[in-house]
Amino acid sequence: MKKNKFSLKSLLAICIGLFILVAAGCSDETSNSDTEQENAGKEDKKVTMIFSFKAADLDPHTGFTPIRAGITETLLKLDEDSNINGWLAEEWETADNVTWEFKIRDGVTFQGGTELDAAGVKASLERSIAVNPSLEGSLNIQSMEADGQNLTIITTEPYPALPSELVNPYTSIVNTAAEKEMGEEAFRDAPVGTGPFKVKKFTSNQEVQVVKSDDYWDGEANINEATIKFNEDANVRALALQSKEADIVYNIPAEGIEPIEKDQELNVESVPGLRSHFVLFNQQSPNVSDVKVREALNVLLDRKSIANDILLGHAIPANGPFNSNLPFGINDEVKDLDVEQAKELLGEAGYEENAEGIMEKEGKPLKLEIITYQARPELPLIAQLFQSDAAKAGVEIVIKNVENADTHLVENTDWDMATYSNNTSPRGDGSYFLNTAFTETGALNVGNINSPELNEVIKELNATTEPEKRTQLTKDAAAIINKEVTHSYAVYPNSIVGMNDRIIDWTPTAEEYYILTHKMDVK
Amino acid sequence: MFSIIKRRLLQLVFVVFVLSLFTFGLMKLAPGDPVMTILNADEMMVTEADQTKLRSELGFDQPIYVQYGQWVLGVVQLDLGKSYVTGKPVINEMAERMPITAQLTAGALLVMVSISVPLGIISARYPGKWPDQISRILALIGASIPSFWLGLMLIYFFAFKLQLLPTTGIGSFSHMILPSFSLGFSLSAVYARLLRAGLLESLSEDYIQAARARGVKEGRILWFHAFRAALLPVITVFGLSIGSMLGGAVVIEILFSWPGLGSMVIDAIFSRDYPVIQGYVLLTGVLVVVVNLLVDLSYYWIDPRIKQKEEGTT
Repeated sequence: MKKNKFSLKSLLAICIGLFILVAAGCSDETSNSDTEQENAGKEDKKVTMIFSFKAADLDPHTGFTPIRAGITETLLKLDEDSNINGWLAEEWETADNVTWEFKIRDGVTFQGGTELDAAGVKASLERSIAVNPSLEGSLNIQSMEADGQNLTIITTEPYPALPSELVNPYTSIVNTAAEKEMGEEAFRDAPVGTGPFKVKKFTSNQEVQVVKSDDYWDGEANINEATIKFNEDANVRALALQSKEADIVYNIPAEGIEPIEKDQELNVESVPGLRSHFVLFNQQSPNVSDVKVREALNVLLDRKSIANDILLGHAIPANGPFNSNLPFGINDEVKDLDVEQAKELLGEAGYEENAEGIMEKEGKPLKLEIITYQARPELPLIAQLFQSDAAKAGVEIVIKNVENADTHLVENTDWDMATYSNNTSPRGDGSYFLNTAFTETGALNVGNINSPELNEVIKELNATTEPEKRTQLTKDAAAIINKEVTHSYAVYPNSIVGMNDRIIDWTPTAEEYYILTHKMDVK
Repeated sequence: MFSIIKRRLLQLVFVVFVLSLFTFGLMKLAPGDPVMTILNADEMMVTEADQTKLRSELGFDQPIYVQYGQWVLGVVQLDLGKSYVTGKPVINEMAERMPITAQLTAGALLVMVSISVPLGIISARYPGKWPDQISRILALIGASIPSFWLGLMLIYFFAFKLQLLPTTGIGSFSHMILPSFSLGFSLSAVYARLLRAGLLESLSEDYIQAARARGVKEGRILWFHAFRAALLPVITVFGLSIGSMLGGAVVIEILFSWPGLGSMVIDAIFSRDYPVIQGYVLLTGVLVVVVNLLVDLSYYWIDPRIKQKEEGTT
């Protein structure tokens, strides 16, 4: 046979040679860009962040990214303790909860220099309601009148929750005149607001680059430029922080914290969040209609283990619907796992332990179905822990995993319990959660809860203005929920934010609205 | 040749129709609709009345065949509708994302070709020897590693450990390397083995022996005689796998945050954004049929015997 054109040895040599070439090519190219980056860092202050939630556009009235990126601001804002303060509105008052007077702050300008007045606010609020159908119901605005810096809002009914709803990022104030000039499409990708940063470049579902606005009313921003990227993969986000490509990364997975903490230049902040993970009971199911049974199940939920073992310590065991750190959180003690007490309570409900250690009533064993879903990975784990602890008290729990929990719970009536998760106090106020999850017409009331005592309190809350009284009524409602065990609250998960030590004068906040601020700085 | 094109185009209409009917039916059978997402019930005060009102506004209370009929009516007028979630026309959304997925697929194909062709040739050249063994092991690894894991590992080494490449994002050549490799590597394994088998078969053909006997150089035999014939099965499999290639891109798109078609349809499925799902299915259906048509046409060029045979019979 003819001799091979090239021998095996020369082939191997070629392979090695090629590999070296490629490797050299790669390193050369990037070391150049590295030095470029370093130089740029010295000249102007730049920050890179990664969010887990992506944005298809930057319309401030349908997404949160513009407020998070410091592009827009709202009339009112929350402080660190979730109290409502003035922001673009300096002060506000109402005599009857129907006519509201807002005084718009003097000297506020939109990016580009246009002064903000009440007429501008009115036009912006009108746009928000037109663009976002859910705002019509949450703002309940009948009419608005603008006079200089004074804005009068008249609501369709007495509506004390209006200030809380004006904290909502969807009500961000934008320059509608700029929209007319730019066109709707362009405005959605580069909205003009009053914030310390303006849009430089936006790539849909990918990233937004912002630069410092020279017109900011509350003092110059410390950093010049920021890039916010979106990535839905938690591991990749953590790696981007570790490779120093990103300075701030949201929603680090609990298991990814250790390597970050080992790195001297990095830091992890675990911020108490506004969300609650809980077990929901189906009020129509005869199995859990007895409050004693629900009380028994309530003490079979091992909150400490959920917080420590499932969420690796990045959660607070729950004692009610609202995070106990909040002004309207309650002081009740956190229920411990207590199998004996559960058995006792079940005994009071008429159940007896049979020969196999199973609780039964009139010959029928207590067997419950719990619905769970994967979208929040810790929920199925909570269901499993609950299942194994309930078994100790002779209660059999069957776990059913569904893709779309909301729909499943609404369309089926044969379930007993469900693991669930809600942002229970999104805007410094409990009335949103109480109204949507407990009243007959609420969209999140999938368990068909209808408690006359609770309805009474919610009704009173909806008609009350004074903050102290609202806080008290919210606490009263929480106490009734705990007494009737309509929900069994497990934990308040923390939101975990990884950051580079070069970031100074900034800490992540619970509500996750005000992320890029003019005060943020870099070393 | 033209009869093939004509036949395929007729097939296209049929395929797309059946495909869209099935997806529409399946999506409607799956529980849930986009109403809760549109109203943003996780953040906003929403009542059941709001939901019912929006459902009837969107026509979800009408019989399925009416809803499907309306969609088809739109499609024949070249209107794919608007996304329920973003409010953008589906056609714009897809036009925005198509280049990104195309870029990713092209990058992956490049990686695939540059790995599988040399690997396939070398192992066919030295069957049973060490290059063949190595290529076999590589192929085994490539076929068994899930691309998301490979992607994560590549990010770990090249972005974090070596800090040579960016973790995620698009825009520059360096952004393309890791995603293209993650997607292309597993593909290349299959094709390398396919090419090896094809080459071994064609190298044993009589005409190769004849060429050798005429004293044609071995390199020329390999490239001009054997390789061309060995391409036939490779191209066929390629045409069949274009669909799964687009599907496989989904994971990589999410990992490297490439806002392509794959991540678009995943989001759409979760939020039950029917027009977007339908648009995607329509697009991929057309794409698969067209690619397979091109594959069939390429047979004439790759293997002229096919054309001769056809001309002989007709």
